[in-house]
Amino acid sequence: MSYLEITPDLSTPRKERKIAARIWSEAFASVEFKIGLVVFVILLLSAIFYPMFSGIDPTKMNISAKLSPPVFFGDGWSWVHPLGTDQLGRDMLSRALVGLRYSLLIGVSTTVVMLAVGALVGLFSGYFGGSVDTVLMRLTDAQLSIPMIILAITILGVSRPTIPSIILVLGLAGWPVYARVMRSTVMSERKKEFVRGAMVLGATDWRIMFSLILPLVLPPIAFVAVLDIARMMIFESVLGFLGLGVQPPTPTFGNIIADGRKYLMNAWWIATMPGVFLVLTLTSINLMGAALERARNKIYGGA
Amino acid sequence: MFIASFLARRLFQGALIVLLVSAIIFTLLRVVPGDPVRLMAGGMAPEALIEQIAEDMGLRDPIYQQFGRYVGGMLQGDLGQSFVRPANGASVGGASFDDNTRSERAEVWDLIANTAPMTLQLALLAMVFALIIAVPIGVWGGLRPGEFPDRFALYLSSVFVSLPNFWLGIVLALVLSVKLKLLPAIGYDGFAYTILPALVLAVEIAPFIIRTLTVSVAGVMGQNFIDIAAVRGLTRNQIIFHHALKNSAVPLLNLLGVQFSMLLGGVLVIEFIFDYPGLGLLTINAVMQRDFPLIQGIAIVTAAAFVLINIVVDLCATAIDPRLEY
Repeated sequence: MSYLEITPDLSTPRKERKIAARIWSEAFASVEFKIGLVVFVILLLSAIFYPMFSGIDPTKMNISAKLSPPVFFGDGWSWVHPLGTDQLGRDMLSRALVGLRYSLLIGVSTTVVMLAVGALVGLFSGYFGGSVDTVLMRLTDAQLSIPMIILAITILGVSRPTIPSIILVLGLAGWPVYARVMRSTVMSERKKEFVRGAMVLGATDWRIMFSLILPLVLPPIAFVAVLDIARMMIFESVLGFLGLGVQPPTPTFGNIIADGRKYLMNAWWIATMPGVFLVLTLTSINLMGAALERARNKIYGGA
Repeated sequence: MFIASFLARRLFQGALIVLLVSAIIFTLLRVVPGDPVRLMAGGMAPEALIEQIAEDMGLRDPIYQQFGRYVGGMLQGDLGQSFVRPANGASVGGASFDDNTRSERAEVWDLIANTAPMTLQLALLAMVFALIIAVPIGVWGGLRPGEFPDRFALYLSSVFVSLPNFWLGIVLALVLSVKLKLLPAIGYDGFAYTILPALVLAVEIAPFIIRTLTVSVAGVMGQNFIDIAAVRGLTRNQIIFHHALKNSAVPLLNLLGVQFSMLLGGVLVIEFIFDYPGLGLLTINAVMQRDFPLIQGIAIVTAAAFVLINIVVDLCATAIDPRLEY
């Protein structure tokens, strides 16, 4: 039975294993990745710890302090509410940071769902080929030609949006792109020596797909998925803005900005200030994502 | 002959996709909770009347029968009638069930055909703005990979991608319209009302163009024939405009095809913020009012548009680059 023990060595060539690590260090060497990382970590830590330690409840109303402007914009600077308060006297800074928590939670989970569904479909399609491939790819085409946003607002508009349903709907709306990329890489891996070797040694399809091919092709795709976290966070905020996201009183960027729009003329900061947080977070994620994508393209020779 | 067989094949595939899309949307809308008939019949309608209307409209038949009827109508260019909109305009969703002033319900096809030109105008202007912003930056970045212009393109597109359209719309409306009084923002009363929404949409599109251009121009400039062109005595401008840009046109066209649905998503939100009377606003209102036939019609028409645009994109790509085969 000794030949069975050498299978892992034959199947996962050392050189290929290291690709993920090489992409990572290549990206980490770039300026934009470092800038993005620093900004992101600061925002993440404040989102986690500020609402916890400030003791300010983002849903607590205080009518006597309603519509107070941010520090530097009022008469006499007051640091009590650094970003001002809304029409009900709720503290904008803690609302924005709690919104950031939900935004990140939904953005990351949605991307994971998208990646998982897309990777599975692409893996099956690319590995088995033939009629499995035809059916799955036509389904992918159909899904790709329904504008994602129409699908999402239709489903969420007619049912009550909750955090799991938002994650599921956005995740299910976004998988086709991953399915396509995955399929083409799996198809090219499948023809390689080590896969045929494993087949000769009697490995099952299941084993070849999940323990040989998947670990090779997933990391490069997963790196690029970082960009989709930002895209999904925007999507979540759009849904919230349309009233189809996480429902008030839970503060999210979308519903804060939608609320603030009504008071734009006399309290501009409600709609604009939380957006600054969102934009900063998204920019930091996008910078990291762009650096990872470039590193991947460089290592794969622009593929 | 090649063109004819290509078109026949692609149109057939496209028709299949549209049929599949209709089936998905149709089933989805009938599976989700919420009875549109109650909304349609008007407030306070008795249960018996609701059942009767549903019966008359065939809404209690099995889904496959309803779908068969729908596809039959679709083939004759009939997308059905809106649940809540009368032919003369305003929505009547909230009216009482015995209100006699309610008129004929509007045809879905008419509603779409009336608003689509407005959206097309917005999208085209946005595309012009986006190209004006993106082409110089993208080409410049592509010509100097790894140097400042390339970095600049990367940073600028990362920032642009990170600006949520609804937030940017509000900020620009606040600054340009409320404070500086440069442009009108809300509603539609002449071409000037298209500019601000188009600008927001352009910022959303531009980063994708910048990225595609930087990558493809950098790729082309590294090819042998570019070096040879210099040896042949062509000036740098000739090389850039005749060789590099022409070769970047194909990826750019493909991008347009792929990003169509993103463009549509942007249009939807932007029209909603600026109260711009196009297809996007129509869609949002249809969803809010649970106007199922209208949602269905819009989804099918946009899917068809997506299919057609991709066929046209592929045709144009072969025209530009005869090496391509489909």
